[in-house]
Amino acid sequence: MEYLDRVQGMSIMEKLGILTDAAKYDVACTSSGVERKGDGRSMGNCVQAGICHSFAADGRCISLLKILLTNECIYDCKYCQNRCSNDVPRATFTPEEVCTLTLEFYRRNYIEGLFLSSGVLQSPGFTMELIYRTIWLLRNKYHFNGYIHVKGIPGADGELIRRVGFLVDRMSINLELPTAEGLRELAPNKHRKTILGPMRQIQNGIQSNEEELVVYRHAPRFVSGGQSTQMIIGATPENDYQIMQVAQGLYRKFDLKRVFYSAFVNVNEDKSLPMLPGGPPLLREHRLYQADWLLRFYGFRAEELLDERRPFFNVLLDPKEDWAVRHLEQFPVEINRASYQMLLRVPGIGVKSAQRIMAARRSTNLRFEDLKKIGVVLKRAVYFITCNGRMMYPTRLEEDYIVRNLTSEKDRIRFGSDGMSYRQMSLFDDGAFSKPIEPVERLQIAVGQL
Amino acid sequence: MLQVYQCEDSIEGIFTAIYRIYEDRNQHRECCVRIDGELFLLAEYHQVETDPELAMKVIRTLYQRFGEEDYLTICYALVSEDGDKANAVYHAVVYGLERKAGRGHLFDNLADTYLHKVFSLARGARNESCHLKGFLRFEETRQGFLYATIGPKNNVITFLMPHFADRFPMEDFIVHDRVRGIYGVHPAGGQWYLASGQQPEEGTFLPSAAEEQYQQLFRHFCSSIAIKDRKNLHLQRNLLPLRFRNDMVEFDSR
Repeated sequence: MEYLDRVQGMSIMEKLGILTDAAKYDVACTSSGVERKGDGRSMGNCVQAGICHSFAADGRCISLLKILLTNECIYDCKYCQNRCSNDVPRATFTPEEVCTLTLEFYRRNYIEGLFLSSGVLQSPGFTMELIYRTIWLLRNKYHFNGYIHVKGIPGADGELIRRVGFLVDRMSINLELPTAEGLRELAPNKHRKTILGPMRQIQNGIQSNEEELVVYRHAPRFVSGGQSTQMIIGATPENDYQIMQVAQGLYRKFDLKRVFYSAFVNVNEDKSLPMLPGGPPLLREHRLYQADWLLRFYGFRAEELLDERRPFFNVLLDPKEDWAVRHLEQFPVEINRASYQMLLRVPGIGVKSAQRIMAARRSTNLRFEDLKKIGVVLKRAVYFITCNGRMMYPTRLEEDYIVRNLTSEKDRIRFGSDGMSYRQMSLFDDGAFSKPIEPVERLQIAVGQL
Repeated sequence: MLQVYQCEDSIEGIFTAIYRIYEDRNQHRECCVRIDGELFLLAEYHQVETDPELAMKVIRTLYQRFGEEDYLTICYALVSEDGDKANAVYHAVVYGLERKAGRGHLFDNLADTYLHKVFSLARGARNESCHLKGFLRFEETRQGFLYATIGPKNNVITFLMPHFADRFPMEDFIVHDRVRGIYGVHPAGGQWYLASGQQPEEGTFLPSAAEEQYQQLFRHFCSSIAIKDRKNLHLQRNLLPLRFRNDMVEFDSR
């Protein structure tokens, strides 16, 4: 292991600092998707829902020990702080160090497992081999039974990917940028083909492993948590519609568990990268995640949310509200009769609320106060639903009116702290839904007939 | 006349009270189960002695009729700190048994006041238990066992112990609920149990020599992993409430 000689002498604290800092732009830190009980001897188990162990100052979850094996890299991707042309402190962990850190952190309940990525040292194959050796030690010498997520290095040998796949819970290969053109421009050493190739291989591996598991229950499991990928948003000029279509394609054609979106942070000040005076495009990233959920759990298609003429998400409305106000012909929805699919499309009703509505409807006729208990966000849903044929408040089914109510602080229907009652209306209220007083009514007020 | 069944604040106690009500064949509308000793005008009081055997019978019935998931929800509701939990659970059980709600369907009708009460109490306790599975921190002591201290709102230690026992089968560890003075003890390779009453000797839980180093490493890790351009302390506070942070090494500024 002659490559290690140069890096001896650096303290583990320094290395951890450098290699954590180098890994922080990787998005995935989930530990979900695998349910594995402890085996009664070795340390570790996995929980289906995943466990967050802490939250960093940027509000992102810390679930896994997210580190690079090394931040040395032969590639020169323009957006990456570890590119070979950058003058940054370099460090490399030995496999033993990674194992000790993982186990000692895990024992103290700091982390849920290991997330191991790496810069490309010498060649993709060599790097993947190092990762394999590390994970093999962790599983077989230290008998670690917790969650492991490994980055596949594009261009590594298929056999190595296969072997790693049998040791880890999740594997991901970064798409990096949404389109091949973007990749060619910003990551000249990477190619779309070498990224999609191993992705397909992992997909096929998972499928054939599932068939195998049907026959042999104790067959070794291959990437049982599924694979994910990530792409950088805002470094290249793609629009949201293109990005959603790429994501949809990945979910359909590659059976990915998750696609992660990473708002571009300009660390290198390279001339081919956009300037971001307002900081990373966080709202855009947020909207993409919202739309991603709509694709995966709400039965939406990318073409419904956006199209060629409107290729970007609305800044003020979330994608579901945006869809709803453009399809008012499908509303209002009657809570006590609507199909599950239609309930899912109502803003303010999520997967759980929709399921609870379906369950509760069997034994009762739902009213608005029941919806509140069930967890429906009435503040958003109120414009789109009826209970027993009635709307909660006299609202108008008009695009402008609803948009104004959903977005403006001033015009909104004001709900009380219990979420049910709204502010008492005064006679000369300028609230959103008080219609102007007619002359006839003014007369009636005067003579006390109202 | 209102029939009040007074019992102790434990899962067994409350289940025994429910058994007694069914045994006495009273009208369910007129019965209520209390754990807090509140007095009512014009009520008949029944003092219920906890009986593990009767409680076991109730558990078996609930388990069979409503399934594991809903039974667990009831248990989560019963470890919450709420004076009305016993009564809500009692009426939820009556509702389920009378209407023959099937397995996994006890909480279908959330419009019902009692069901919703039990459901939301359980959700609170379950959330706290899930939080603590992540936020709890062990320290290695000089004797080599692991020690963690927690101060939860709900009495969730019974739900934490199986999780950690499964995760660390070959570790000696102790989880201490300092609010209730309960210790969850897990001997390596053995069964976990709860202990209370006795105070451990002074100095039992002093950290080992290597402990400080790993705490510093983790602190260093947590500060390096944050992206400065995305700093968002408000979001961090939403996801990780301040009350948990006293026991977490990464928020300790040593």
